[in-house]
Amino acid sequence: MIGTLLNNNMNWASARVRADPGFFRRLSAQQAPEYLWIGCSDSRVPANEIVGLDPGELFVHRNIANLAPPRDINFLAVLQYSVEVLRVRHIIVCGHYGCGGVRAALDTERRGLIDHWLQPVSDLAHRHAGHLDKISDFDTRVNVACEHNVRAQVEYLGRNPFVTDAWRRGQKIAVHGWIYSIRDGLLRDLDLTIERPKDVDRLSAKAWFPDG
Amino acid sequence: MGSTGKFQPIEPIPADLLQEPLIWFFAEHYRHRDLCARLLSVMQSVVFDEPALREIYRFLDEDLPLHVIDEEDDLFPLLRRRCEPDDQIGKVLGMLSAEHANDMSEAAAVKQIVATALAEQRGLACYKNAVQVIEPFCFQQKRHIAVENAVVLPIARHRLTVEDLDNLARRLAARRGLSDPFADAS
Repeated sequence: MIGTLLNNNMNWASARVRADPGFFRRLSAQQAPEYLWIGCSDSRVPANEIVGLDPGELFVHRNIANLAPPRDINFLAVLQYSVEVLRVRHIIVCGHYGCGGVRAALDTERRGLIDHWLQPVSDLAHRHAGHLDKISDFDTRVNVACEHNVRAQVEYLGRNPFVTDAWRRGQKIAVHGWIYSIRDGLLRDLDLTIERPKDVDRLSAKAWFPDG
Repeated sequence: MGSTGKFQPIEPIPADLLQEPLIWFFAEHYRHRDLCARLLSVMQSVVFDEPALREIYRFLDEDLPLHVIDEEDDLFPLLRRRCEPDDQIGKVLGMLSAEHANDMSEAAAVKQIVATALAEQRGLACYKNAVQVIEPFCFQQKRHIAVENAVVLPIARHRLTVEDLDNLARRLAARRGLSDPFADAS
């Protein structure tokens, strides 16, 4: 029932105040998160909760398949605001194994608008089809593509003008690529962290598959 | 069953071993072999051995799925990132992942028979499909483990960094609700 959500909210706010009477007063005064989270819309990947951060500590952008599309005005507005106004120190691209968006990008079923949204993932899979197709188990192929998708978004961000301009100004920003498993609730660092333009070139030069 | 004839559970892995995660995997494989030995033994008996069947069911229901996550969501992705083309690991991992998917469906069939035997309080030999479900599962398990022990774990020892292994160990522990194996180390 929808009313449950409003009741839950009342209980949550009341418990917060009991634990910390000044919590909402402080929170309403300003937001100064150090992190921008770019994650998937999947309801099983609640950003704040899985990294143990309170409201106010994580600036969040979520979309299907955790994309950082260079022509999405919503995403670009979030990125510019978080880099130039909030001056976040870390941008985290977090994918998750078994992502339904990545799965949809890899199969041949037509779904409509979502196919256009997922086009960058389909293109990526197409570029690596020679390797991906060798993985006979479809779930594993999806999981490998989920990791590759995170890497592709980290690379896009590393070449995004908002990020490169910030680096040029001497602003410290690190972009990280992580992946989450819904099966165990744990995050994995995919070792994709970039902190300067040179790191982006180094990352782009890295092989995508162990066999080249 | 132990040498004394008294029921003994499948030996748990000492928590200390988490500090050596690749040894942990070897130990876990040993437990899988133990499971197969028990299954192949009880499938021939018409006598209802409740503790033995419960232990087998518990292992298939709890330990096996965790082990598949240990490998599919942790060890194999790490190897895909760390291995060099000369290792030729991609094809092996692809094959093992397909087997994991198959393991889970075969394990579900074995679990179903064990659950029926428990509910009806009968030995597994009372069920005419027990052998045809259990034998291929055990055969596949043993072959799969042999490949992992002979190919995957030695390459992992060679390619994974100390940091990889420490993080792997922490996730193995967290996945089981155990405390950080290196918490007292600093």
